Amino acid sequence: MTTKGRASFQRVFLLTGRLALGAMFLFAAYAKLKPQAAMPWSVGSVRTSLSMFAMQVDSYQLLSPGAVSRAAHLLPFIELAVGLWLLTGLWLRFSTSVTTLLLGAFFALMVRTYSLGLEINCGCFGPGEQLGKKSLLRDGSLLAFSLGVTICAFLVRKKRGESATSVSVASEPQRAN
Amino acid sequence: MIRRTLHPLTVAAFGELAVVAMLALMCGAGVSGQTRPRAPAHAVANSEGTALPVKSLGNKNAPITMEVFSDYQCPSCGNFYENTLKYMIQDSVAGGQVYFVHRDFPLPMHPYSYMAARWSNAAAKIGKFEVVDGALFDNQAVWSADGNIERFVAAAVGPADFKRLKKLMEGCDVNPHLGVKPAAFNNSSQADHGCLLDTYIEQDKQLAKQIPVTQTPTSVITYKGQRYPAMPGFVTWPILKQFFDSLMKQ
Repeated sequence: MTTKGRASFQRVFLLTGRLALGAMFLFAAYAKLKPQAAMPWSVGSVRTSLSMFAMQVDSYQLLSPGAVSRAAHLLPFIELAVGLWLLTGLWLRFSTSVTTLLLGAFFALMVRTYSLGLEINCGCFGPGEQLGKKSLLRDGSLLAFSLGVTICAFLVRKKRGESATSVSVASEPQRAN
Repeated sequence: MIRRTLHPLTVAAFGELAVVAMLALMCGAGVSGQTRPRAPAHAVANSEGTALPVKSLGNKNAPITMEVFSDYQCPSCGNFYENTLKYMIQDSVAGGQVYFVHRDFPLPMHPYSYMAARWSNAAAKIGKFEVVDGALFDNQAVWSADGNIERFVAAAVGPADFKRLKKLMEGCDVNPHLGVKPAAFNNSSQADHGCLLDTYIEQDKQLAKQIPVTQTPTSVITYKGQRYPAMPGFVTWPILKQFFDSLMKQ
C-alpha cells in the first residue's frame, strides 16, 4: 500500500471506527436507561431502570452498596457523554483514549468475575444478557477495535502535523543574505 | 504555527449525531417489549395429602412478587438467603409490599440439593415452609458435608410435625442426584411414582425452563402484573430495597 493509500485508509477507519463506537456507547446508555417491563418513559421509570442496573452492578460483588448505587446512576450518563463525544469527532485522540480505557476497565472486570465463577448478568447492554464466553469475546473484540481506532487517531494527527509543518516551512519567505 | 478551524467538523459531527441517535432509538423500540406474562400463582393448601405445597410468604396481593429460583445446597443461594432474603422477609414481606415465592431449582452438581428440596416441599405441605427453609439455609454448610438433612428439619419443626413430614417423605429415599432417577422423571402414572413430592420440584423446574432460568439464585420480580427480566446472582439487601422503593414510587 502506498503512503497516500495508507493515509486514506487510516482516515476512513478512524471515521467508521469512531462512529461505530459512538453509536455503541449511545445504545449501551439507552439500554440501561430505557424503561423496563413496558413502562412508559418517565423520571420514575428511568429511576427504576437505573435501580435495576444497580442490581446488576451489585452482582459483580466488587463495590459497597453505596458505591454500587453511585456507579450505577453515573455510568449510563458517562456512556452517553462518551458516545456523543465520539460522534462529534472533537479531540479524537482523547475521546478514543477514554473509550479504550473504559472498555479496558469493563473487560478486566468481566474477566475477573468470570474467573471467580460468578454466574451473573453482564449488564453491558441492559438486563438479560448472561456473562459468559460470548460476552467476553464480544467485549474483547470491542476493546481491540477501540485500541486500533485510538492508534489510528494518533497516527492521523501525527501525519496532519507533519504535513502542516512541511507546508509552513515551504511557504516561509526566502531571506536575502 | 498550525491553526485548525473547527466549524466544518462540528457541522458534520452534529449531522452524524442526529442520524445515529435516530438509529439507536429505532433499535431500542424493537427490543423494548421484553415483558413476559406473569406466572400463575400456586393454590393454597387445603388438606395435607393432596394439598399443594405453599412455598411463599406474605400477602399474595402485594404489589411486588419476588420469585427466587434456588438450590438449597448452592453457597451463593445460602449467602443470598442469609444476607438479603432474611432482611427482605422481615422488612418488605412483613410490611405487605412484597410477596415472596420460593422456586426449587436443584442443580445436579449438588448431591443433596434434591433431597433438601423434597424436605422443603413436604414442610410446605403442612404449612411449615418458613421454618424448614430457614433451617436448611442456616445449616447448609453442615448437612452439605454429610447429607444428614433430617436432623435439622426435625429440630426446626418439632416431633409431631416431623412425624407428619416423615409420612409425606415416604418413597423419597432414593436420591436422584446420587445416580438414580426419581420416579417422577418417568412418564408413567402417578400411582407408580416413588416420591410424590418430586412433581412439585419438577413443576418449578419446568417454570424455570420457560423464563428461562439457568443458574441459582435467580430472582424474578413482578410489579403490577409486569415481569422484569430475570436477575441471576447475589444482590445485597440495600440495593434490592432501593429497587423495590423505585418500583413503589412509580
